[in-house]
Amino acid sequence: MELQAIHDTLKAAGVVGLLGCDEPRPANKKEKDPGRAGMPFLLVDPAEIVPLLTACRDESRLQFDLLIDLTASDPAADGDDLWVLIQLLSLKYRHRLAIKAHLPKSALSIASATAVYRAANWHERECSEMFGITFEGHPDPRKILLPDDWKGFPLRKDYEFPTEYHGISCE
Amino acid sequence: MSNSTSNTPEKDHKSSYRAEERRTLSSGEEEFFFDVKTSDMEVNMGPQHPATHGVMRVLIRCDGELVTGSQVHLGYLHRCAEKIGENVEWLQYLPYTDRYDYLAAMNNNLGYSMAVEALMPGLEIPRRAVLLRTINVELNRIASHLVAYGTYGLDIGAITPFLYAFREREWIQALFEKICGARLTYSYIRIGGVFNDAPPGWLKEVGHFCDVFEEKWKEYRDLLALNHIFIKRTAHVGVIPKDMAIDFGLTGPMLRGSGVDFDLRRDMPYMAYGEAYEAGAFKVPVGSGEKGELGDSWDRFYVRVEEMMESIKLVRWCLGVIEDGPIIGEIPKVIKVPAGEAYVGIENPRGELGHYVHSDGGKVAVRCRVRGPSFTNIAVVEELMPGTLLADSVAIIGSTDIVIGETDR
Repeated sequence: MELQAIHDTLKAAGVVGLLGCDEPRPANKKEKDPGRAGMPFLLVDPAEIVPLLTACRDESRLQFDLLIDLTASDPAADGDDLWVLIQLLSLKYRHRLAIKAHLPKSALSIASATAVYRAANWHERECSEMFGITFEGHPDPRKILLPDDWKGFPLRKDYEFPTEYHGISCE
Repeated sequence: MSNSTSNTPEKDHKSSYRAEERRTLSSGEEEFFFDVKTSDMEVNMGPQHPATHGVMRVLIRCDGELVTGSQVHLGYLHRCAEKIGENVEWLQYLPYTDRYDYLAAMNNNLGYSMAVEALMPGLEIPRRAVLLRTINVELNRIASHLVAYGTYGLDIGAITPFLYAFREREWIQALFEKICGARLTYSYIRIGGVFNDAPPGWLKEVGHFCDVFEEKWKEYRDLLALNHIFIKRTAHVGVIPKDMAIDFGLTGPMLRGSGVDFDLRRDMPYMAYGEAYEAGAFKVPVGSGEKGELGDSWDRFYVRVEEMMESIKLVRWCLGVIEDGPIIGEIPKVIKVPAGEAYVGIENPRGELGHYVHSDGGKVAVRCRVRGPSFTNIAVVEELMPGTLLADSVAIIGSTDIVIGETDR
């Protein structure tokens, strides 16, 4: 199913928090638009993420049963938002859905998806330590790849590389 | 040969147990180890334990021989691949992809190249490049499954199959060395195609390898997979039911071992797979619970064994249709990728390898996310461990076939 059709199906099912589709478009030199290549994303409201994912999983015409990936992105150091990116896959209908939620840097908090997909557990732990996003209601919010005492959030664009770690110089 | 007399206690997938709940074993005997109360003991498996296939630590809490809880600690091999991806040019990142799943570097190269190519709409990959990619990726899948096959035997205590498996793997590595000069970190599949054409006689040697491997494969199957002792150690152990596999987002042989018939190569085809499947070149092996229950360690293992044979058929099909021609599309020396975002997932030997790439039109990526299959697949171990015997924990971890380079990236 194409993204627009998925969007319409969700809308018909009464899901709130849909903010439209981010479709690729060709470059337009006249209007100095560089265009956007690649794949379409469904834009959603981060406050509604759990009911939305539940609908994606349970709606009989979508059946996104696998949560493939959950991550974030910091597109610009001076930007206001982080993006939370979720990839879903349906085994039955063989279609994918990419979800994008803009999260303001001033309030980096989103509800945890672990109650909907248990696969989200480790992805959220990684996302949290790398970007400093709090996942509300996460059952086990420890760090996963980094040491427990690591300072800062390495995948943020404004991250400053440490000069020493436990007396070991990294310069 | 019946497996109903296995000595393994029946799994209930509970994260805790109560000592007064004496269970009856599938053999009909009452469980005995609850009679003796011992204090809980915490065992550190790893970071330097051969069964963890790298540097991973599994903290196991056990009551005598019975595992009552486990916790996986990752990060010992974290090399900041995603941060590096935001700091080097598009093509410069390619050698880093070799290093996450170092047993299937060709597949990693392909996953990354396809993600970047998804942002370059005008780029056409020549047919010879597509077929060379498919041949090499499938050969690498065989090599990777051979390691999975050999080391799983090693984990459980069978040393000989490992030596057999590495004999054929050595040949595959020699083939890769001839085509790209490297034995483990190939960087052979580039953005736009492949970087080197097959040297004279190479395709013929691949055909010869297929002939030989087909015969050897039967030996492998009989030597380990159908070995009575091996079945006793793996059947009924670490059972992942279908719904649990889906809930945990497992992919690849882990998912198919639980009876879910899904393979990206067939169901969302890329490269030459769609065409090959239509021509009947390969099937998708799925676990059936033949020797134990559906989704046990043996099922996952046997899916890998069968996949090796399917890969051989795919390689043969490619050898039949490959023709001369260009091997790389029109790619400038310094690649500038148009602004955009793409997520591309491909079927690696261990499951879905996903790359999310975000370009702002420059020489460097804004975000380069790697979704490694091992990372998701190992998460299920914490769930499987409670209620099993300590000796089976090795069998369970081995059956997930993880590569630590990929879980930690």
